[in-house]
Amino acid sequence: MMVALAIALVVLPLAPALASSLTARARPLGFTAAGSSLATLAVAIVLAVRLASGHRTSALSGFIYLDSLSGFFVLTIAIVVALASLGSGAYLRAEEQRGELSPLQVRLYFIFFALFASLMLGSFETGNLGLLWVLIEASTLASCVLVGLEAKAVSLEAAWKYIIISSFGVTIALVGTLFLYYAASAIAGSPTEHLTWSYLYGHAGALHHDTLRLAFLLVLVGYGTKVGLAPMHTWLPDAHSEAPSPASAMLSAALLNTGMYAIIRFLAVTNRGLGSGFASDALLVLGFLSITIGALFLVLRVNFKRMFAYSSVEHMGIIAVALGFGGTLGLYGALLHTLSHAIGKAVLFLTSGDLVLRYRTRLVAEVRGVFGAMPLTGAVLLLAALAVTGSPPFGLFLSELTIVRAGFAASSPALVGLLLLLLVIAFVALMRACAGMALGPPSQDAGELAGDGADGIALPYRERSSRLLAAAPLILGLGALLLLGLWIPAGLNTLITHSIGVIS
Amino acid sequence: MLIVSAFTNQSAVQSLTASSAEGVLLSLAAVVILMCAFACLGSKLFDRYVAYYALQSAALAFAAAVVAAHSGEVGLWILAAITLAIKALAIPLATRRFLLGRFHLKRDIALSTGLSRSLIAGAILTVFAYLTVARGTIGVALVSRAVVPIAVAVVLLGALCMVVRRHTIAQLIGWLIIENGVFLGAIASVATFPFIVEAGVFLDLVAAVLIMITFVSGLARQLAEASASELRQLSA
Repeated sequence: MMVALAIALVVLPLAPALASSLTARARPLGFTAAGSSLATLAVAIVLAVRLASGHRTSALSGFIYLDSLSGFFVLTIAIVVALASLGSGAYLRAEEQRGELSPLQVRLYFIFFALFASLMLGSFETGNLGLLWVLIEASTLASCVLVGLEAKAVSLEAAWKYIIISSFGVTIALVGTLFLYYAASAIAGSPTEHLTWSYLYGHAGALHHDTLRLAFLLVLVGYGTKVGLAPMHTWLPDAHSEAPSPASAMLSAALLNTGMYAIIRFLAVTNRGLGSGFASDALLVLGFLSITIGALFLVLRVNFKRMFAYSSVEHMGIIAVALGFGGTLGLYGALLHTLSHAIGKAVLFLTSGDLVLRYRTRLVAEVRGVFGAMPLTGAVLLLAALAVTGSPPFGLFLSELTIVRAGFAASSPALVGLLLLLLVIAFVALMRACAGMALGPPSQDAGELAGDGADGIALPYRERSSRLLAAAPLILGLGALLLLGLWIPAGLNTLITHSIGVIS
Repeated sequence: MLIVSAFTNQSAVQSLTASSAEGVLLSLAAVVILMCAFACLGSKLFDRYVAYYALQSAALAFAAAVVAAHSGEVGLWILAAITLAIKALAIPLATRRFLLGRFHLKRDIALSTGLSRSLIAGAILTVFAYLTVARGTIGVALVSRAVVPIAVAVVLLGALCMVVRRHTIAQLIGWLIIENGVFLGAIASVATFPFIVEAGVFLDLVAAVLIMITFVSGLARQLAEASASELRQLSA
């Protein structure tokens, strides 16, 4: 039963790819994507509920393996996929109507969006670290087609930078996996077992220490490139800025977390084998570097999609720091932050899609008075920015508070002070930009665009169904964030607690 | 220091000694692989990059075949065949036909350092690989003791290729060289991953190269259009 659900989870998102062989219109494909992603989310919730109790499933000698941690990430990513799919329908249709995208590009978008979602969800369902690598690399490849979709010189350049840096990084992760495999080959067992996470975790004490250390460092740098940890983050702002906005949402809220998931799996083995000191130090260094770089580049306030991307670098840094603080509190904070940030950043990037469609620019300075021109988008922009910068009463406030408490529990008040300082810088920078865009008098461009509206065309979305598709993820996402800030459902709490039990 | 002692535990898979016939052949293949990486680093012509990469991949396929003959594993034989077919033939042919031929690319002028300087840097990296890896105690008589440092050196040389060359095709070849280095290291230290995983790695490689070729040709076409439009403006 579990295996059937697991297979359904990777097959369901593929429906739009199949549908794209029948049609190249954004409207039916968008509805297919929305429907299939909601079905996927339903399956993910069923899986998560079953896995929440600490239940584990393993099949095909560990190639299919699910535990609570997989359940948590499956749930998180399925939520993001659902939000981004709803947004995709509206965004692609608007681009299609404007003549920005050809039928081939629309088709390619839905094929690779589907593949991307399916591969990411699949990577949480394998216990084989080699297959995990294969799936993560494949998801990079699928997503880089989305980055280069618009086929302009800039987007191709961003896609090239993305694919070459990520592939290089992930190759380093392969070397790390190889080292772990090499360390394991000294213990009794079959070659397949030597790559199976649960076997490695069980025998972590018997792994050669130096080899394990080297393996973890290589994996941290390698998958860290995918996560966007500084200094390996250089591809991230370009790719996030050039991809169509729903794809940016997927990159930022889903792909980065997939990389983090791989790191968490290796971290668990390393901590078990070596004790927690070594891996924690490495994570704290990269984490603080990422938060610093993310916060400082936020201060520039030039291109809002790049700003949201740098905010992702910052938040991945926060998660790495939380993992570095460790302990039950640290892990709880890290997982809760992963979920909240994923939802918040998906909403923020979908909002940026509305802005790009309406204003045809990505520059902060050219967008003014969104609140007046598009009340819903403006309100969501302001609230989501507040949420992402960790203001109460949203989910990220709670998770950041947990992480700060974990820092004190790990008796590093100086580090906590630094963390809070950087968070304040990020808050001020992002809020200044977003408040500037949302409030104030509408810019002159908007006035001209309103002239467009006089022809009976309400920008950026013409049809009612498009507007509905665009608005739904914003409202649902913001609602979920508010919910997470006020009250953590008992089921989610159990799921996170059992996930922590799996890795510590 | 980490790398030095990382190899201290005995690998269960490898019992290949340096003095056996297979050991000698494997070391020989590894040396050819290293030389190809250096040749690539010291060249300026696009078709040379591709040719050296093809030769390197053929040597890698040979190395895999040697280990396959020693261990008698069917999976390794298949991998040797796939390596030969895809890395030594298909990828070089596709690169030549769809990139070099179509866009008439000959000489790489986007170098950030001179050839001699990058060769010296390459030599330093190779020595570094030897000093850090070989002094460790991979069983003294084992062939891995010679081959694993070479694999590390090839990875570093590939990375150097990507750093000193700014042209997309040179970066693509640099990444492929890194991939070859990783494979050589895998063959010499642990034979390979289980076959299914290995096949997946290959599939990813092929997909990556296809996508990269598409992007590079897209970029090249845009650049060609840009320069053509410039010409029109001047003539008007």
